Amino acid sequence: MELFASIVGGLLIGGLYVAISLGFSVAFGVLDVVDLAVGMWVVMGAYAAVVVQDWLDVDPLLLLPLYFLFFALVGAVLAPLIYRVRNNRYAMPALMGLALTFGFATIFRGSLLTGFGYTPRTVRTGLANTSWNIFGLVLPAERVAGFLTAAVLTLAFAWFLYFTRSGLAVRAVAQSKENAGLMGVDVKRTSTLIYALYTGLTAMCGAVMGAIYAMTPELGPRYTLFAFFVVVLAGLGSIWGVLVTGLLLGVLQSLVSTFWSADYTLLVVFLSLFVVLLLLPNGIGNRRSVA
Amino acid sequence: MTVLEVRDVSGGYGAVQILSDVSLSAAVGEVTCLFGPNGCGKSTLLKSIAGALPLWGGTVTLDGTDLTGQPSHKVLSQGIALMPQGGGVFPGLSVKENLRMGGYTIKVRRELDARIEEVLDEFPRLRERLSVAAGSLSGGEQMLVSIARALILQPRFLLFDEPSAGLSPKLTTDVLARTAALAERGIGVLMIEQNIKQALRVADKVYVLVGGRNRYEGRPGDINSDKELMHLYLGVHKDEGDPQ
Repeated sequence: MELFASIVGGLLIGGLYVAISLGFSVAFGVLDVVDLAVGMWVVMGAYAAVVVQDWLDVDPLLLLPLYFLFFALVGAVLAPLIYRVRNNRYAMPALMGLALTFGFATIFRGSLLTGFGYTPRTVRTGLANTSWNIFGLVLPAERVAGFLTAAVLTLAFAWFLYFTRSGLAVRAVAQSKENAGLMGVDVKRTSTLIYALYTGLTAMCGAVMGAIYAMTPELGPRYTLFAFFVVVLAGLGSIWGVLVTGLLLGVLQSLVSTFWSADYTLLVVFLSLFVVLLLLPNGIGNRRSVA
Repeated sequence: MTVLEVRDVSGGYGAVQILSDVSLSAAVGEVTCLFGPNGCGKSTLLKSIAGALPLWGGTVTLDGTDLTGQPSHKVLSQGIALMPQGGGVFPGLSVKENLRMGGYTIKVRRELDARIEEVLDEFPRLRERLSVAAGSLSGGEQMLVSIARALILQPRFLLFDEPSAGLSPKLTTDVLARTAALAERGIGVLMIEQNIKQALRVADKVYVLVGGRNRYEGRPGDINSDKELMHLYLGVHKDEGDPQ
């Protein structure tokens, strides 16, 4: 029973990893830049929720759309910079793109450390210390709420990609910028749109994550590594792969901390990444692709 | 008559200049062929006209409307569509989605669907493959998708970058016949082709580019009669011109 509960708990967290990694994966396909700041967007979302609870004294989960709007705006401001660096005429634009997003991550981390220090912070919601009994399983309410949020976001994002005109343009740009441009797609605007959606979505997930795990500004790289794990294992550009590996990551993490120790999470995560890549070099879900 | 005028165009990639003062004019209802050795700037010229590459100098006009330096969507809205080498289909998108992309600049969904229906009536073979990923189609079918996609916007001018590349001899004949048919419908075709003999059969006008410059301009009849010109300017042997 403990095993079963641990797996379910992991799946609930895994939902958030799916939502985060999906945006990360699509943004990579469109911008051609691995956003090394992905983990910092998670952390920033959590700190935004902390600020809201400290200053406004309302339940931080009620203001989720606000975090989305705010961070989408920040993303929309930064995206043209990334685009410009990635498409410049100078040497090694791909590497410059990495350096730029690494720079973003460093600035975010520094600002958060200045503002909030090293003390871990938790987003306190009205759901804390509450459990829901679902089909005989007693589950922490915050995790269930987190999973539901992630599920809604993932579905909305997939709907956008597969059922809207802009989503089609996003998938076309991910395949070939030049050909998409010839069809009349404004590649730069599409890049900005997708980066804004991704930063908004990731920060929103971060706010929920902050209610489940304590946050410090130092945790950015951890979530960046998680997103890497999911996207690399999924096979670049594969939505179904992201779905499977995101949930898998949650379960793996949960099992390790239940039966061993949370300290070994990263070790196990990376060992399994190596093993899977040795056996399936193209990733788990390389049949159907976004990009 | 509608004419696409290219005057003294120069351009290239990054800092590398490829085109120097290239000029040509192509009319609707005609097939204008662009020949020249590899790397002479044919594709660069088409991309520059279509707005996919910045122009360094010169002008591009369609019927007197200045298109110089306009982005792709503006050029498209003026009725010029480019089919890149290999067709440029999106392999991971379905045939239907590829056609949708062809009409991306049409914002009204119903209007776009109606255009797609019209084009499908013309290419009934694609109707059965609508939900198939374009990348899993054969080369010939992909070329059909590409042509169909380019026709969605009902262009006045089609710029073809080697429509026969990678196709079998039979399919090459088909595709070239199709381009001739498009010209008869009143669309202007500006085409790069490596199958010179076959292309000359459908061409109304011929340009030769060498080293990014105009080298020859004339009617196909003149070129056929002048083998030496082919040797000199195209660097081909007598038996070349047949695919593979």
